[in-house]
Parts: sequence; structure tokens; C-alpha cells
Amino acid sequence: MNEIILAYIKEELLNNEIEDDFDENEDLLGSGILDSLGMVQLIAFVEKEFKVEVGPEDMVIENFMTVNHIVNYVEGK
Amino acid sequence: MELLTLTDIITNSAELYSDNEAFKCEENSVSFKELDAKTSQLAKCLIDSGVKKGDRVGIYLNRCLETAIAIYGILKAGAAYVPLDFTAPHPRTRSLIDNCDIEFLVTSNSQKRKIISLIDKSSSLKGVIGLSHDLSVKTVSWDSVFNIRLEDYQAIEINQDDLAYIMFTSGSTGSPKGIMHTHRSGLNYAKLSAKLYQVNSKDRVANHAPINFDISTFGYFSAPLSGASTVIITDAHTKFPVSLANLIEKEKLTIWYSVPLALVQILLSGTFDKINFDSLRWVLFGGEVFGLKYLNEFMEKLPNATFSNVYGPAEVNQCTYYNFNSVTALDSQLPIGKVWYDAEYKILDTNDIEVAKGEKGILVIKADTMMKGYWKNEELTVQSLYIELNDENLESKYYRTGDVFYENGDGNLFFVGRNDRQTKIRGFRIELDEIESVLLKHPSVKEASVILVELENNKKELYAATLMLPGTTVSNKELKSFCKSHLPVYSVPDQIQIFETLPRTSSGKIDRNVLMNNLIEK
Repeated sequence: MNEIILAYIKEELLNNEIEDDFDENEDLLGSGILDSLGMVQLIAFVEKEFKVEVGPEDMVIENFMTVNHIVNYVEGK
Repeated sequence: MELLTLTDIITNSAELYSDNEAFKCEENSVSFKELDAKTSQLAKCLIDSGVKKGDRVGIYLNRCLETAIAIYGILKAGAAYVPLDFTAPHPRTRSLIDNCDIEFLVTSNSQKRKIISLIDKSSSLKGVIGLSHDLSVKTVSWDSVFNIRLEDYQAIEINQDDLAYIMFTSGSTGSPKGIMHTHRSGLNYAKLSAKLYQVNSKDRVANHAPINFDISTFGYFSAPLSGASTVIITDAHTKFPVSLANLIEKEKLTIWYSVPLALVQILLSGTFDKINFDSLRWVLFGGEVFGLKYLNEFMEKLPNATFSNVYGPAEVNQCTYYNFNSVTALDSQLPIGKVWYDAEYKILDTNDIEVAKGEKGILVIKADTMMKGYWKNEELTVQSLYIELNDENLESKYYRTGDVFYENGDGNLFFVGRNDRQTKIRGFRIELDEIESVLLKHPSVKEASVILVELENNKKELYAATLMLPGTTVSNKELKSFCKSHLPVYSVPDQIQIFETLPRTSSGKIDRNVLMNNLIEK
């Protein structure tokens, strides 16, 4: 699952000024990999790709800070 | 001790409140004593690397604990800090580095990937502090900085009129303008704001703004001045309102200061009934107008907090306030309030004549918190000033805010709008002409017009209409990505349309009113 998410970020969302060698533990917002629009797109992708519904109460840092956090969140759903 | 410079804030608070928490970000924190030592270590590192008094040192950091060490460490080295927006496109950052003759950057490992691609093409830099990764220029890790011994550290003597920081904001000609503040103007703001909001050593102040935004000076200067703790809100928290609301309860924040949008997001996150916000005693907001509908809702949920509508362009820091507790007192528009302390103001017409009370005009402000001028732009500095000579032929310098105001019978000021093409979106200052000038740099663009469209629910969007040179083809997606690589993300038009012809006024200029009406009809 983390490969799918990483590939999506690298292909669709990555800011063209950042090297694409980051991994699943990188802080997506703090490192500048994603901006707020990118995060919205990523959440939409996760919902569609893994057939989960991200409710407002789930939109928290603990679930989306890194790719690892996202994987744990989706697997726990 | 009498405080004369911004660095005195740390020296003084390290003595008075030594073990109190000065700054906190997530689980990391520093006490005032530790901050004093760490900032001296950074200062020594910079001085030993060749930074001299008056130099500019860039800060390239996300919202993190190191920002506080960077700001005061650079100031202690006698240099001025230049906060760089880590989300800005590299060409923009490189031009600021060149423009300010910056030779050293302070950063952290979280910015490693961006720094690598930034440095490749930028030659003027001599060193990067805060990175444990080899580059073509010298790097020093934070660990090595914090191992520096201070036995032979000699504090640099700093004067009140020395340059302390340069904050860049959108400029109408296409290049950003650098607002220069001295230790005097920065410290005056810290003293006055700490006094107005009775900030004390028990307070826990929320810092929501990035360091390249003038609102951050409250968290970085005013709070430590009073011995309060500043909680630096992370970038992730600013994007997840539920987490942000939780943080207020978890950190028992007592003073909040942000743009209205952050508060609206908390309100709309639906967490109000689950979270205890009782610790908040002050809610300050500024940067743009707070829609009354949301403000009313927000205030109802926080009956114990006092609210403050803050106004002041970054050129003068804060200069007015309107403090209020109840929503019933509010009319159809929230006042900007009154000018604070020793600040003076006038409302002028287009001929620089004071208008009659109640009439609309441009606000000019004279205050001890005013900038020194625009960096390397004397002409713009002169244009921004309204100068009055008194009986003894002494000059009184007022800053022309460019904001249109009127004053009501109670002496409260009300904001009406702008007399030019500067605007605000989510608190960010945007010059529409700057966006046009970027679009015109694209080889295929012949003409461009950018307008701000106000949608429902206080939502605003930037709209660009463009005309191509004959024989060229370009997609609007391509134009958008061109804008993205030259402008900060908040200035990138939400919509770019390519036209065959554009509506004209009788003098042949693009008719923005017609464009606007066409849009509204759609």
C-alpha cells in the first residue's frame, strides 16, 4: 500500500523542486512535499483507491502526517 | 534591565524566568536559559564562519522550534534575519538571496531535499547552518552548533537602529518589496502589544503564522518579552483544523493570534462541543476582515474570551485595536478601532488634505513601530511616506497605508477598501499587478489581466484573463504551472482563461469591470 501512495505523490503531487527520493517516514507538510491543496488531493486519492471514507473526525495529523501514518490509518479502518 | 534591542529580550528573560518554557513545538521545547545559550552558540557559529555586523542571514525553515533559535541567534551575531518562505518556488527564493546578498542560511534536516535543489544553481551562498548533509558549500549540523563552547564568546554590541529583520511582501512591479525593521521598531511593537494584552509569564501564546508573516512577531518577540511560553503550531496542524482545535486544549493556550481563516476552519471542523477552550483569554485576529456571521458563532462558543481586531500593515506592525467581549455590540461592520498608544494618524484625500470627520480617505500612520524603509528601494520608501513639517521645520513621517478608512462619531475607524490593486486572500498580501507581470514574462503571453472575484461565504478567487501572441499556442495548464514556478502558492490564479479578444475601455486598456461582470453572470 505504501508503494501505491508514494508513487501517486511522486507522479501527481510532487512539487517539482524536491528530489523524489523521500520515503514513507517523511513529514509530508513540514518538509514541503505537499501543500494544503496537495493534501486534499491525496486524501481524495486514498478514499477512492482504498475504498475508505475519511470522515471529518479522521482528518487529523495522526492519520496523515506521513505515508506510514496513512497506511496505518487505512489498515485500521 | 532596560531593554533596548530585541536580543535584550532573551538576555533579560533568561535571568528573570530562566527555567520557564520559552518556546515549544510538538514535544520539543527550550527554556529561556537554554534559549539564551543556544542562540549564543548559533551567533558564535555565524561569527566564526564570517558573518559580520549588518549582514543578512536567511532562515529557511518550516514551523519548528529551530525558528526561535535561528531568529535570536542571527540577531545576536549582529546580523538581520531574512525569513524565506520554504514553500515558495526556488527562482523566487534565489532572487531574494541575491537581492539581500545573503551568504548564510539557517535551516534544518527537514528541509534537506529542498535545500539541495535550491543550492545547486545558487552560487553566492557560503554556508548552510543546521544541516547534517554535505553540500557544495560548507554545512554545520545543529548538533555541532550546540557543542560550541562559549568561554571565549564575545557578545556583539547592537544598537537600537541596527537592522533586525527584512520581511518580503508582494510588490506591484513584479519583484517583492523588503520591509526593513530595526531593533527599535521591532522591540517597540513587542512592548506595546505585550502591554495592551497584559501578556504575563503564565501565558501560553499560540503562534500560528510562519516567520515570514508579520503576525509571527507577537509569538517570537512579545511573548518572550513577558516571560510567556510560545507554542509554535506546526505546518501539519495548520492544515488539519481538528488537530489544531485539540492543540488549544492540550497546550492550554491562553492567547491566540492568527488570520480569521484559521478560526473559521476550527469553527467548521465541528469540534466545538468536544473540546474545552476555556483556557483562552484573548483571541486576536488580523490580516483581513473576519466575516461577522462566523465571528458571531465563534464568540458564542467562547464566552470567557476577549476578542481583538488587529490592524496594521507590516510596514508599521500593529497600530490599531478594537477589543470586544460581546456580539450584541456589533453593528453591520466590525470597527478596526482606535490607534494605539503614541501612534498618530490622519485620514487624507487624494490631494493629501485631511478629510472632514466621517468622510472617507486614505489612512496615514506615524508610530514608533514603523519600518526603516524598503530594502534597496529608496524611491519606493519616499513614495510610501507622507511628510509634514512642524513649526520648527522638523519632519513628521507618516506611512501611507493605502487603505481607505472613515472615522465614526465615537472615534472608531472603519475599513472601506483599497485605493489600488493590492488585495488580501487568507491574510496574504497580494498585488494583482505582480501576477500580471509574471504572466507577461511567459513568451506566448501578449496581454494579461488579473482580477479578484468574491464568491459566497467570504471566499475569494484570483482570475486571470490572457491574450496570446499570434502564432503561439499554450494551454492554461501550462500557464498555471508557469505561475507556480514564479509566484508563492497563494498568488497563483485559481483560474486562467485564454481569450481571442478582451473587452476594452475607450482608451484601449483591458476593461476589468466588464471581465468581472462576465464572470459574475457565469
